[in-house]
Amino acid sequence: MNIDVGAIFQIAGIGIIIAMIHTVLKQMGKEDMAHWVTVIGFVVVLFMVVRLLNDLFQEIKTIFLFQ
Amino acid sequence: MVKLIGAILVIVSGTLFGFYQAAQFANRPKQIRAFILALQRLETEILYGFTPLADALAKIGQQLTDPLRSIFSEAARRLTDQRSSVTAQESWQLAVEEQWKHTAMKQSEKNIIYQFGFTLGTSDRNDQIKHIRLAINQLQHEETAAQHEQGRYEKMCRSLGLLAGALIVILIY
Repeated sequence: MNIDVGAIFQIAGIGIIIAMIHTVLKQMGKEDMAHWVTVIGFVVVLFMVVRLLNDLFQEIKTIFLFQ
Repeated sequence: MVKLIGAILVIVSGTLFGFYQAAQFANRPKQIRAFILALQRLETEILYGFTPLADALAKIGQQLTDPLRSIFSEAARRLTDQRSSVTAQESWQLAVEEQWKHTAMKQSEKNIIYQFGFTLGTSDRNDQIKHIRLAINQLQHEETAAQHEQGRYEKMCRSLGLLAGALIVILIY
């Protein structure tokens, strides 16, 4: 298994930090900015997940298709 | 090991940036208050002291602390400079332009003080006093607005700096 657990921790950390930034911004009455931060964090995490999924599909291809 | 040092550096610099922004928010009302007091002193100098404008500006500049001191001293220096023949308005506005980046104040205060420069040293004492009072009034409005902003954004900037640093570290770790 070449994908280490670090990526999962990284995504979890991003989630926690984004949630905290969202809370701080919302408390100070900047709701629009808080939503933008959340959206940007979501997109970044989505990119990381897409990369991991790409690795997964490559793996499946090499197992089942015997190129 | 190098990675860890870099991570600590990024977090520390993010936190320091947040604290710097918070300090800007905290300094703005203080500097506006100091500017109001300086204008009141200028009013006294003009109304009771009959001091020439360059001397009055230099005298007030000496009593102030640094970011405002340089505005007044610079204006006085330009006004007394023998080689260049600038008016009081030009010397005041040039000094404001030059020294403004060292202060924590924003564009709205700058506009008020810049506008005040147009009437500086052009009319009799009563008219001068009227314009100084007008500028003081406007600055007081700005001061209350700045205090509101300080209450809202000072703490936010501090926590936001630390969080942004942590986010960058996690993103590129």
